Amino acid sequence: MFATERNFALLMVAPGLLVLLLTTTFPLVFLLWNSFHTVNLAMPFLDGFAGLDNYARMMADSRFWHALQLTAIYTFSSVALQLFIGLGLALLVMQISAGQWLFRIVAILPIVLAPVVVGLFWRTIMLAPEFGIIDFIFRILGLGQVNWLGSPTPALISVIIIHTWQWTPFAFLVLLASLAALPPEVFEAAKIDKAGAFQRFRYITLPLIRPAVVIVVIMRSMIALSAFAAIFAATGGGPGTATEILNLYAYKTSFVELNFGYGSALAVSLLVITICVSGLLFRLRTAHRG
Amino acid sequence: MARSASKAAAARRNGFLIAAASLLLLIWVFPLIWAVIVSLKSESEVLAYPPRVIFEPTFQNYSDALFGGVSILPSLVTSLIVSTSTTILTIIIAVPAAYAFARLRLRGKKWLGFYTLATQMVPPVGLVIPYFLILNKIGWLDTFQGMVTVYLTFSLPFAIWLLVSYMEDIPREMEEAAFLDKANRFQTLWHIILPQVRGGIAVTVIFIFLNAWNEFLFAVQLGGNTVRPVTVAMFNFVSVEQTLWAKLSAAALVAMLPMIIIGIAAQKQIVKGLTVGAVKGGGRL
Repeated sequence: MFATERNFALLMVAPGLLVLLLTTTFPLVFLLWNSFHTVNLAMPFLDGFAGLDNYARMMADSRFWHALQLTAIYTFSSVALQLFIGLGLALLVMQISAGQWLFRIVAILPIVLAPVVVGLFWRTIMLAPEFGIIDFIFRILGLGQVNWLGSPTPALISVIIIHTWQWTPFAFLVLLASLAALPPEVFEAAKIDKAGAFQRFRYITLPLIRPAVVIVVIMRSMIALSAFAAIFAATGGGPGTATEILNLYAYKTSFVELNFGYGSALAVSLLVITICVSGLLFRLRTAHRG
Repeated sequence: MARSASKAAAARRNGFLIAAASLLLLIWVFPLIWAVIVSLKSESEVLAYPPRVIFEPTFQNYSDALFGGVSILPSLVTSLIVSTSTTILTIIIAVPAAYAFARLRLRGKKWLGFYTLATQMVPPVGLVIPYFLILNKIGWLDTFQGMVTVYLTFSLPFAIWLLVSYMEDIPREMEEAAFLDKANRFQTLWHIILPQVRGGIAVTVIFIFLNAWNEFLFAVQLGGNTVRPVTVAMFNFVSVEQTLWAKLSAAALVAMLPMIIIGIAAQKQIVKGLTVGAVKGGGRL
């Protein structure tokens, strides 16, 4: 029955690949198909082939360009913050001899929370006007009141902070593990050569952990590009469209306005952006290897 | 003399480092601690200004969240069913596939592996839109089979890749010894490989369960009154008129407690999974 290795291997992968084909690839093809059609659940009598209409509309849609801009700001700043804080803290904790376990335990907490719960926590007990604890802290420090989620710029800053709060521990833990795996002799040799702390970091540590850094950037960028639950729970994309990243715009167009054709086109654009960004980042990774 | 001075400087520096690191530690743990405090207050106490740290704690919110008019208990059961089914189904499909990718000769393996990896990068919004239309058409909206099907889209590619990296670590000699004993390939997988990757399977189970439990986008849009996972049930306490902070905090903590326990208990394994995933480039967490 399992006569040859190849046949057996095929038998082993076939169910998995078939399920993936059916559950991911087929819906994606249907998404692409819909993006060339008018699919409106509110006005089904208009449904039909639309050619490039949805894409033409997208090019002329200022809300799309705004969402695209927000996606870039949100992704870039949250990934940069996660990387810098996570790396800084990992380097710091490496120098602390006792109690590293406490950091590892605490860092796992935000990671295991559901993003929607995180969004709701921040929206209510942390950032709410009057009764949120951050508002209270700002007032006793004499920094005045900020309507964190209710005015455009603070709202954007807030959702970036929320995302950074939840996922910096990921960067921290991965980079800490990769730092802990480095052979200590390398640093001893550098110390004997009287290399300063910064020089040691720049010329020894950083090149050695570069693969981990690049992977953190890739993984976190993919997640930030399609962040949904925390923003949905905290601001719902508002006020107005102040925190409406492309992901949320595609969602709202489909499920609030019931315009599935245009929503599909927006989702396709996010898919294309995700592919381009990951392709670019993977290329950077291999380019630095030589 | 010089030595003790430098020792003092080192101690000062160490103290500063610990202080800086502790501040970040506090920032991470604070929202959770604050949620615990709020969950023990009455709704009116929550809105006291300035916020009080000393108060009469009550467990009323927990009993309301679990057994009150907008109980999350049915949703906890739903989440348990969906997450468990997703996990079991994923493992059954992923283990053989991972074995083939890690160990066997297969035509177009590289390409198929890349395909599996690529399916993981699809933004969920690109799936929830077509799935809504498809499930609507076949009558699977708000059904368990519909939800589990959709959850396979993120659990399966991730599980395959995580398991491949664990299976690659098994020494080849073990299989060869089994073949010499005339074990067939299936017996080899079952009796030799599986016991070796038990740890890897456990990590994979943790990741899938966690991701399925915490999932929100598919749950809110493709579920309904029958299938209403606990992440969606959080909105029981949030409405346009008012938000019941204390009950929300209590419900959220109850819903997240299993994840927090898993997280702390399996902290080492999760970090290992994250880094293995990091090397392979997988993972949604």
